[in-house]
Amino acid sequence: MRISIDWLKEFVDVPASTQEVADILTMLGLEAENGLNTTQLTDIIIGEIKSRIKHPNADKLSLCQVFDGESMLPVVCGAPNVEAGQKIAFAPVGSVLPGDFKIGKAKIRGEVSKGMICSESELGISEEHDGIMILKNTAKVGSSFIEYFQDNSASIELDITPNRPDCFSHVGVARDISVKMSAQLKSPDTKARKFKNNEVGDWISVEFENVDECPRYVAGVVKNVKVGQSPDWLKNRLESIGQRSINNIVDISNFVMMEMGHPTHMFDYDKFGSKTVLIRRGKKGEKITTLDEIERNISSEQLLITNGKIPVAIAGIMGGLESAVSEETTTVLIESAYFDAPTIRKGAKSVGMITDASKRFERGADTNGAENAFWRVVQLLEEVAGGSWVPGVADPYPKKIDQTSIELTREKLDLLSGCEIDDSFVVNTLKGLGCIIKGKSKKWISTPPSWRPDLVREVDLIEEVIRFYGFDNVPSKYHYNGVMDAHNPDPHKGITLMTSVLTGLGFTQLFNNSLQSNRKVSLLDIPSVKIMNPLSDKMDQLRTSLIQGLLETADFNAKNGSPDLMLFEWGNVFEQEKPGLEGIVEKFQISGLIHGTLHKVSVHRPKERRASFFTLKGLIESFLSRIKIHNVVFNPDSENDYGFQNAYTVEARGDIIGYFGDISHKFVTGMNLDLGQSFGFQFDLNKLLPLSDNKVKYQSIINFPIMERDLNFVINENTEVGDVVSIIQKNGKTILKKVKPYNIFRDESVGENIKAVAINLQFQSNTKTLEDKDVNSVINEIIRVVSKKFSAKLR
Amino acid sequence: MNIKESIESVRKSFRADSDPFPNDSQAVDDLRVKYLGRKGLVANLFSKMKDVSANDRPMAGKLLNDIKQEISYVIDSHIDSSKSDKSGKNESDYSLPGLTFPVGHVHPLQQTMDDIKSIFMNIGFSVAYGPEIDDDFHNFSALNFPPEHPARDMQDTFFIDPETVLRTHTSNVQIHLMEEKDPPLRYIIPGRVYRNEAISFKSYCLFHQVEGLYVDKFVSFADQKGILEYFVKRMFGSETKMRFRPSFFPFTEPSAEVDIWSEKRGQWLEILGCGMVDPEVFKSVDIDSDIWHGFAFGMGIERICMLKYGIDDIRLLYQGDMRFLEQF
Repeated sequence: MRISIDWLKEFVDVPASTQEVADILTMLGLEAENGLNTTQLTDIIIGEIKSRIKHPNADKLSLCQVFDGESMLPVVCGAPNVEAGQKIAFAPVGSVLPGDFKIGKAKIRGEVSKGMICSESELGISEEHDGIMILKNTAKVGSSFIEYFQDNSASIELDITPNRPDCFSHVGVARDISVKMSAQLKSPDTKARKFKNNEVGDWISVEFENVDECPRYVAGVVKNVKVGQSPDWLKNRLESIGQRSINNIVDISNFVMMEMGHPTHMFDYDKFGSKTVLIRRGKKGEKITTLDEIERNISSEQLLITNGKIPVAIAGIMGGLESAVSEETTTVLIESAYFDAPTIRKGAKSVGMITDASKRFERGADTNGAENAFWRVVQLLEEVAGGSWVPGVADPYPKKIDQTSIELTREKLDLLSGCEIDDSFVVNTLKGLGCIIKGKSKKWISTPPSWRPDLVREVDLIEEVIRFYGFDNVPSKYHYNGVMDAHNPDPHKGITLMTSVLTGLGFTQLFNNSLQSNRKVSLLDIPSVKIMNPLSDKMDQLRTSLIQGLLETADFNAKNGSPDLMLFEWGNVFEQEKPGLEGIVEKFQISGLIHGTLHKVSVHRPKERRASFFTLKGLIESFLSRIKIHNVVFNPDSENDYGFQNAYTVEARGDIIGYFGDISHKFVTGMNLDLGQSFGFQFDLNKLLPLSDNKVKYQSIINFPIMERDLNFVINENTEVGDVVSIIQKNGKTILKKVKPYNIFRDESVGENIKAVAINLQFQSNTKTLEDKDVNSVINEIIRVVSKKFSAKLR
Repeated sequence: MNIKESIESVRKSFRADSDPFPNDSQAVDDLRVKYLGRKGLVANLFSKMKDVSANDRPMAGKLLNDIKQEISYVIDSHIDSSKSDKSGKNESDYSLPGLTFPVGHVHPLQQTMDDIKSIFMNIGFSVAYGPEIDDDFHNFSALNFPPEHPARDMQDTFFIDPETVLRTHTSNVQIHLMEEKDPPLRYIIPGRVYRNEAISFKSYCLFHQVEGLYVDKFVSFADQKGILEYFVKRMFGSETKMRFRPSFFPFTEPSAEVDIWSEKRGQWLEILGCGMVDPEVFKSVDIDSDIWHGFAFGMGIERICMLKYGIDDIRLLYQGDMRFLEQF
């Protein structure tokens, strides 16, 4: 909501400095946008859109010709509100927008674009990013935008929270200021006119289908109006808040809405088509062309204003074109209604429209405001458009909405605020806001005003009191009451350890997007969770694995000078096991990959070390041992759904906790990457976390010497060394502590399809110094068993 | 000549042949064949093993392996880096760079998340986590976002189906917690959240939040101020200038936003939202709001991280660019 300082002054005395007004409002919860950060907008100039056509290759884009004062430039623009003839803030090629966003020459869907038409959000002026910023027609093309902005900043932009419909108006904002500054609030004249005979009854009557959806409808007629330009004061008021003047009748309606907050609508009485207003639900198949000249399909979702037969307006959203005020209009039918908020919201959503009126109605309008706005409109139609009021008003109010009283206790106020606020402050604040207060001290009974639908409970009143008291005036308490024993360990504590171990081993941590394209997700045969309303088809489902993100990042880095990578990420992946929310499984995983050269050649290290299956395996062994997961078993896994080839499962305590192996080539081809072979792992964090949380028990250090022996077995090429090692371990009695193969030798001298494996064995007793004979008996047994089991021979 | 002597003679011969190391690849191949080929000198040495007595065999085996490794190493390394120096003279030039090992980097978001967690854990908050995909009740209705309420527009939402959403805040876990546990409660809730917003330098389709919830019998706005001031001063320094500004969230009343003053930018920067738990929220989880009171707060980890490290484009946090990550 844009608020004009000058306009505000009609209702309350405000400080001279706009910044000061902005600060007061901000600290009342009506966040005023910070002023322009002018240092960043020096390159921005004023441009004019000379023509606009639809982008030939994109439905939502426009192709504009922008005149910058010197030349005509093609510019592609995605804003829905861009039109030829507009003056706009133009960022030329080479300029820099806030956030260090450099504007370059671009080709967008095949069309060259030289510069950008800016929204207020891009300029850093406000959060408004739904469309481009449209400047006054008087703005000078080619001149500096900053100058324009400063000249015209007699207004401030307020970010109105959804609970404050009353602040969508100058009077509403003035009221908050008046309470804060203990100043008098001057309201516009909205006194009801007196009349003898309700003559308007011959002109119009109102009927309802469902009074819950439209509890009040005020209607009246002003005849003999002269449609024309608005007087300057009215035009200026509207322009001061960025609104375009249309004609005096429409301007009055907009003016009253911006002044008092209540939307009204003006029909051309002669085109209305009947003497009866019937408010009813739409019917399927009905159509209405709205003021913006778009034909809308109506459904039962929308509430309609009809003339008894056909729709003349979509209630609370927009009027129809046919019954709209035009130059020929002489008699105006005024509508000032109160509609049910959820009804309007559903209607606006289903028809895909957000208007100034719908914004106000869906947040909750003012039942009495409907009447006040009516009289204000009548007054202005006479004053500005020379009309004469047809005495009387049609104001059926079939469902009276009363304000309920709320009890406010001193006890609750003190408890919630944590401080003591004077009785007089409480009463003055609430009275200033329009509440009627009864009772005193300990317990007040407060009846909130009709324009504050957000005040319904005690806590809402407490909020108002503290808000005006000032959050900064509430003392800060630095001590606790109770619950000191609530401190439990962080369930993700283990992740901190894993992160530090992996980074210590050389891995760098990533956070990748969870939203992915079907192309990436479908590379794995895991049913994914789909998003109903994705940002784009590149992000229309949730990842089912961390691998694609890791690979994509690896590819990005390889193309940007870092092909040698060790990367990991932890996070959730998602699987749609069965339909519905119940069928969605969130899997908490940690995955990583290695790619390229891990140890580069240096003066000391003549040979580089490339990422390989065994480097990965070694890294995993180191990782698991450091996070205290011991006795893991690696088993070959021929059928792997997770994207690894030559895969192995990692088992701990009989449970598969993860996988590793070569990352399948299907990713590289499927995602169109330029990567060489990479090797990856994936662990289930829900299994890893409890396993790594085991309590370490100290074991006393053995001081008896270690005795080493080497065995050199000749075995068949097909025999896996790992199997030999585990047989040796099994037969090591209590004294065999470590078994490590250290060389494999193949040669003619050994024989065809035969290999010689040298294995180092370490023996140690917990109770004595070992002698040769102790070791020999074990060694002999090992030789016997291995020879028999694998038809092995000693070399 | 016993096996030991034979090995030594092969070693001497190899060292002579490989110093200087041949330049052309044919000569290198010849060298490899001469020593490591199937009928090469090393293979010849292995064939002599059968004559070695059982006692000497382990020792001889080790020596044989050593020489084989030495020869392969020298030849391989010359192939990898054709002219590196094997003389050992490098070892006395201490000006050479050290032998480095790769070292990884902890993501700045993780570092920020850990900082935030540890500040709150130090003052007795526990940590809880919850689902990223949740039903409308936990993400909206129970938090006093009634259906058809404009407050729902404050958060652009990704839907899985009309009743299921990608959570827009970690506040859904507030509800899970209060459903599962009886007060008093004092928790922080970190996690990933999603917003259906166009991606730009200042917004992304997802981010991370830390939510806080403190419920007890006598908890006031003043307690909330104390705890959040403690947090801000620990996070941004004890001299940090901050303010509590009234705001609106459906699940708190009164609601506030906390700003800190940036001298560099000359403006207030919003860093977190907070407020006293709305009685409607307590009602939806069957907690008696006449007895229990509390406050809740939420902050974006990205925002704090970006402020802390001076990062000006949120997309850098999800791009995985090593030139960025290496700086942390």
